Amino acid sequence: MKALRLSLLGVLTLMFVSPLLFMLLTSFKTRQEAGRTPPTLFPQQPTMQAYDHIFHASDTPVLRWFANSLFAASANAMLVVATAALAAYALARMEFPGRKIVFGLIVATLFVPPVILIIPNYEIVGRLFWLDTLIAIIVPTAANAFGVFFLRQFFLQLPRELEESAFLDGANRWQTFWRIVLPLSRPALATLALLAFLTNWNDFLWPVYVLFSPEHQTLQAGLSTLQSANSVRYDLLMAGAVIASIPVLVLFVIAQRFVIEGVSRSGLKG
Amino acid sequence: MAVQTAEEIDTEQPPAARKGSLRDRPVTAWLFLAPYLALFVAFVLAPIVFGLWISLHNWDFTLPRKPFVGLDNYKDLLNPDSVSFAGFWNSMKATGIFTVLSVPLLLIVPLAIALVMNQRFRGRNAVRAIYFAPYVLGVAVVGLLWRFLLDANIGVINYLIGLIGLPDNTPWLSSVPQAWGALVGVTVWWTLGFNAVIFLAGLQDIPHEQYEAARVDGASAGRTFWHVTLPGLRPVTLFVTMTTIIASANMFGQSYLMTNGAPGQKTRTAIFQIAETGLQNFQMGSAAAASWILTVALMATSVIVFTLFRGREGERA
Amino acid sequence: MNHTPRSAELSSVATVFTRRRFLSLSALTTAALVTGCGGGQGVGGTDKEGVGGFSGKYEGPALTLAYWNGFTGGDGPAMSALVDSFNSAEKNITVKPNTIEWADFYQRLPAAVQANKGPDVGAMHLDQLATNAARSVIVPVDDVAEALGLQESDFAKSVWGPGIYQGKRYGIPLDVHCLAMYYNKDHFSKAGIDAAPTDAASLEDACKKLQQAGFDTPFWMPNQWPGHLMFLSLLWQFGGEPYAEDGSAATFGSEAGVKALTWMTDQIKSGYSPANVDIDAQYLAFKNGKNSITWDGIWQINDLEAAGINYGIAALPTIGDEPASWANSHNFFLTSQAADDKDRSDASKVFIGWMSEQSSKWSKAGMIPARNSAREESAYTDSVQYALKDQVDHLHFLPPVPGLGDVQPQTLEVAVNEAVLDQKSVEEALSKAQSNATQLMKDNLEKFGG
Repeated sequence: MKALRLSLLGVLTLMFVSPLLFMLLTSFKTRQEAGRTPPTLFPQQPTMQAYDHIFHASDTPVLRWFANSLFAASANAMLVVATAALAAYALARMEFPGRKIVFGLIVATLFVPPVILIIPNYEIVGRLFWLDTLIAIIVPTAANAFGVFFLRQFFLQLPRELEESAFLDGANRWQTFWRIVLPLSRPALATLALLAFLTNWNDFLWPVYVLFSPEHQTLQAGLSTLQSANSVRYDLLMAGAVIASIPVLVLFVIAQRFVIEGVSRSGLKG
Repeated sequence: MAVQTAEEIDTEQPPAARKGSLRDRPVTAWLFLAPYLALFVAFVLAPIVFGLWISLHNWDFTLPRKPFVGLDNYKDLLNPDSVSFAGFWNSMKATGIFTVLSVPLLLIVPLAIALVMNQRFRGRNAVRAIYFAPYVLGVAVVGLLWRFLLDANIGVINYLIGLIGLPDNTPWLSSVPQAWGALVGVTVWWTLGFNAVIFLAGLQDIPHEQYEAARVDGASAGRTFWHVTLPGLRPVTLFVTMTTIIASANMFGQSYLMTNGAPGQKTRTAIFQIAETGLQNFQMGSAAAASWILTVALMATSVIVFTLFRGREGERA
Repeated sequence: MNHTPRSAELSSVATVFTRRRFLSLSALTTAALVTGCGGGQGVGGTDKEGVGGFSGKYEGPALTLAYWNGFTGGDGPAMSALVDSFNSAEKNITVKPNTIEWADFYQRLPAAVQANKGPDVGAMHLDQLATNAARSVIVPVDDVAEALGLQESDFAKSVWGPGIYQGKRYGIPLDVHCLAMYYNKDHFSKAGIDAAPTDAASLEDACKKLQQAGFDTPFWMPNQWPGHLMFLSLLWQFGGEPYAEDGSAATFGSEAGVKALTWMTDQIKSGYSPANVDIDAQYLAFKNGKNSITWDGIWQINDLEAAGINYGIAALPTIGDEPASWANSHNFFLTSQAADDKDRSDASKVFIGWMSEQSSKWSKAGMIPARNSAREESAYTDSVQYALKDQVDHLHFLPPVPGLGDVQPQTLEVAVNEAVLDQKSVEEALSKAQSNATQLMKDNLEKFGG
């Protein structure tokens, strides 16, 4: 009975990943074979043609897009964590005039959908001359209300005794924050960094509209131009998709436990 | 997204205030807040107000003249005889259809998968990783891949459907309602892993004793699920519901890449319409007004969902 | 505009440009430039024109020009080949192309130029010039036309005028492209039709014969792309005009418009076309041999050649009172960004001039060269599209009205869609769309400052 259930799960899982396998197989087909009906499963004349084409096409530098995305998402995650941790700590532990108002404003924007920011932020980014630069991908989305809220909740749960004894030893706020609070908060910080990274990595609409040059695209936006540049060349599209996927999947396999546990935490502690 | 409510937040006093120790000068607090607030003011607060201002103008980013038109942009969007009315409300309808179809599936399917993964078996971590994997690929790879698989003429999906003797010419990407099936199905495939691991974490947080108690009472599996598992998952479910609604209401990439809004503009979502009006045709005033209307609609939906969950909680308390 | 010709191997074009042949060409070009450059100063008067003293040559320091275009389909290789030969000819100018699908192109160009991140030079459709001129994205190129000695009589009929906005020229035409009637030769011979239909009666006759020969739906009527282009062609055939020349009103709901759209819906009512044709389905069905006749752009030629079907091409039949086809044209432009820098604008103009001289080679892209002289060269006379040579005198272009490109999809295209899908009567669809379009055009006149 258990074996039956397990093999059912196995079949379902195989079905679930089969699109990805088919993508991989198609990328090794010739142009003609990729568009053939009925489709073939395994490439009849395996070829690297499509990869060759993609790597030499100057208007679709897939690896450059990958590097751009990696850079932008990492920088964004660092910015989110650094600014949110500082702000959240002040809101969790310090008493100052205006605290309630500031926190209220931040919490209020948790419920404001991001669509409202698209048009004005485009205008703002344009006036800052950030269009067609990765700064436009990194900075505006770093003002992350969820991050402040999430870290504040976490800081509130930390035992205060450690901070107090640090104070008695003569440490100031910054030292307490840096030496005591941050090290204790590693899991929360990592979770937030990861969520920010994934959100930025997956962002699509904003980069599609603010980036213009082929060499400045992020992976998601760039791949969509691959589609228009090679409308019915499914061999090329699949090769591009494979090139874009492999590094992410490798990173994911290495860090999957960490990634998944980070995501899990977001729902429980948020 | 917050699981806590406003009242709960309000009652949390910072410990420093209660105990009166560790006093800070206000400037210290503001220094800690400064980097975040700079970003927050520049890219969240100011744009919200600026967006409202833009929506009151005939605003074209590329033209020096941006005449003030008062509420005309809003009136046009709400007036069935105006030109912008049909396009905008069609796109709102598309967003509504997509959200209504996808949210239940994105709750039920991931929950089912989480229940399976919550059992002990070998390879559980691998299975968990496999279901999560599409999410890290991003919408562009997913869109390209499925556009290929769902191609009406040379796509594998139609071929496979044909093999089992059904019509093999379904226009998955160019006809409704088929395109909705395609868009919802692909979205479920893409993001179910994300919701599933959150549900899984929620399941693992339910105290084991509650299951023990149910077992001692001789409760059936169904009753246990209904009376122990589901209530135990309520906070997580609220979180997943809210984030999924917001994500579905913001759907853009799938329709941009797979159908490009086809047929006609039937699968063009509100955010697609707003982006194209504002950032392609540069009718930014009208687009800003449309995004305010969409925002109000979304916030109203959030409040309703929130109230529903609170209401049910009240009944049980 | 996102239906570009697709998939055809044109790498052979590159081999046309052997270095030697190319050098002789460029010598000719230079000679033409030098002799034609006499009047190359101060045409027009805006400050951002970069006109003064353009000599037709570039002698400044080596530089790289950003060149944007939307030739993503079967026309792409022909353009790459042209750019490569230009690059090997000009020592000091390197042209770096950036090929973006047209829909994205028109979205990105204004914002990019505004942010100083746009191209120096580019190619765009004739009907987009006025909009981009009004947005100050592009600048006048009267001096290029003058330096090259170009005038209206050198070009295909009516392609010259719409490049002028508020008295200044903003584009140098490269080609013209229009609709053509494609038909399946195998179907025709099976049905016993020996000549392509030329008017409404012969088209109907052909459809009847095709039906008798077993082709139940021989002429699929699209309700989306390129349905609106068919409608515009028919409107002109019946003597109508879609828009007032000054941009003050839409007029496509006239009697001519009603006749045109009624004829389109009649093809469905007579059973020659199935109802509810999906987007692109009429064309895919034509390629699969399920549809016998289809009207589509000449940019599909390369795709049809690659598909290997036995097709014929002919001018659109004259359904109305006179022959006419909708047409558009790819035009070279100079951006305001390049105009700020004398070297960049001069180099860009040299590039534009050179490309204009080469337009017969552009026939490889499936297009019709805009220049009369280029249409006498064998590159064109040997091409498939040469079959349309008589139609070239009956082309109609949209007037240079800023913002028209945004108006039409929301109005005229919606009306065609609704009427062909039988969701509204022809009169109702057209009159509603016409009044909407007029309203939008009035708004645009005010917005773009008339």
